[in-house]
Amino acid sequence: MSIIDRESVLRGLTVQEAMRRLVIRSTYHAPLEQATRLMIKYKVNALLVTDEEENGIGVLSKTDVMAAYYAEMAVDTPIEAMMTGPPLFCNLRDPLDEALETMRGKGVHRLYVSGEMSGKATGVLAYPDIVGILYRYCYKCERSLTRRRGAQSSIPEAERLKVHEVMTPSVHSHAEDETLFQVMEGLSSHRLGAALITARDGRPSGIISKTDLIIAYRHRVAPDVPARTIMSSPVLACSQSDLLCNAIQTMIFSDVHRLFVYGEDTRQVAGVLSLTDAARIRSGTCRACIATRLMIGSGSA
Amino acid sequence: MGETARDIMDTRLYTLHPRTPVAEAAAILRRAREELGRPVFGMIVVDNEGKLVGMASMYDILLLTRPKHIHIWGEMADIDATGIIREACLRAKPILVGDIMTTNVVTVTPDTHLLLIVDIMIKRHIRRLPVLEDGKVVGMVYLSKVFDYFVDQLIL
Repeated sequence: MSIIDRESVLRGLTVQEAMRRLVIRSTYHAPLEQATRLMIKYKVNALLVTDEEENGIGVLSKTDVMAAYYAEMAVDTPIEAMMTGPPLFCNLRDPLDEALETMRGKGVHRLYVSGEMSGKATGVLAYPDIVGILYRYCYKCERSLTRRRGAQSSIPEAERLKVHEVMTPSVHSHAEDETLFQVMEGLSSHRLGAALITARDGRPSGIISKTDLIIAYRHRVAPDVPARTIMSSPVLACSQSDLLCNAIQTMIFSDVHRLFVYGEDTRQVAGVLSLTDAARIRSGTCRACIATRLMIGSGSA
Repeated sequence: MGETARDIMDTRLYTLHPRTPVAEAAAILRRAREELGRPVFGMIVVDNEGKLVGMASMYDILLLTRPKHIHIWGEMADIDATGIIREACLRAKPILVGDIMTTNVVTVTPDTHLLLIVDIMIKRHIRRLPVLEDGKVVGMVYLSKVFDYFVDQLIL
């Protein structure tokens, strides 16, 4: 069956075709310090929390660890004090679009996949896994927006897309001398993964992500220090007139999920570009099929 | 008690410190391989007092270099990724061993029987076990050495 005959590009696909089998987990009594190390090591945004029999009983995300940092909890506090639960499960053979609907309906970024034994996770399915698989199918699909738009040109539309067509034209920022407490409040209230840090003259000088914050927590940095203490610098950025494919390449090479975007005035940041949004748009993901009508958040697995 | 860890453990110890950068750890792994004349894929991590605090392995370093978003861009075959491994390694170089090491290390004593060691290695998928005596690491037992011992017995 050709891809364009499908009502949804994901129709016929099951959870097991998109999920990852490596489930990063920790027991509920392990300290937050250990959870933080696992998040850094495996580059994941959340852990499955289990009991002694490896049954999933909760989820601990970077946001939860950041909340512990904000509350000045000791790094040896047990995970159970901060985990949320119970984890949401789907099954290996569930249709992928059904799993997506569950994620959308419940407002979660990931589902754990249960195998033969209920409660035991054999995989995890997160939005970025689906963005990857959408890219594979949508890029080839004849209904793809980029394919249709580029039909009249010798250069494919995907190669001509510019950053300003995809970026989010607003940026949340904090001054360098604001404390980590204030940065955490900003990230939490705006539900963001990272904030831009600016110098006194307003120029961008660094970035603080949730990953930077949990590393600071693990390294026992006091949360009342100025943002400049732990910010990553320089700011990884591109111009809004850059080609999208070049911006994606920069993100891939730098292993980052977002690039800040300079406007006409290169001293000011005009927006932010996320890898998931860039991948979706470049793939030509359209609204021809229900499953692809996803608003992908900045969170990842 | 015969046929224990003591009989096959390697007492030439190479160690890393939690504050050793990954680039330096890689150089130590390479040097150990050259000096021992066999591949070395992991090492113990000890603190300033010589106390075992973790293990760092080839797997830990490979995990560190794996891009976080590979499940997205891995599908983007139309994006040129030439040179990305070099970039990933440059990013990994300054990371500290203490941030990537495994801390729940399984250990044995010099008197642990070889069959128990085999059992631990199979059940826990472990290829190397530190041998502790009075809280200090006195040797390492490698899966290859365990297997060699059994091969010797099998061909007698």
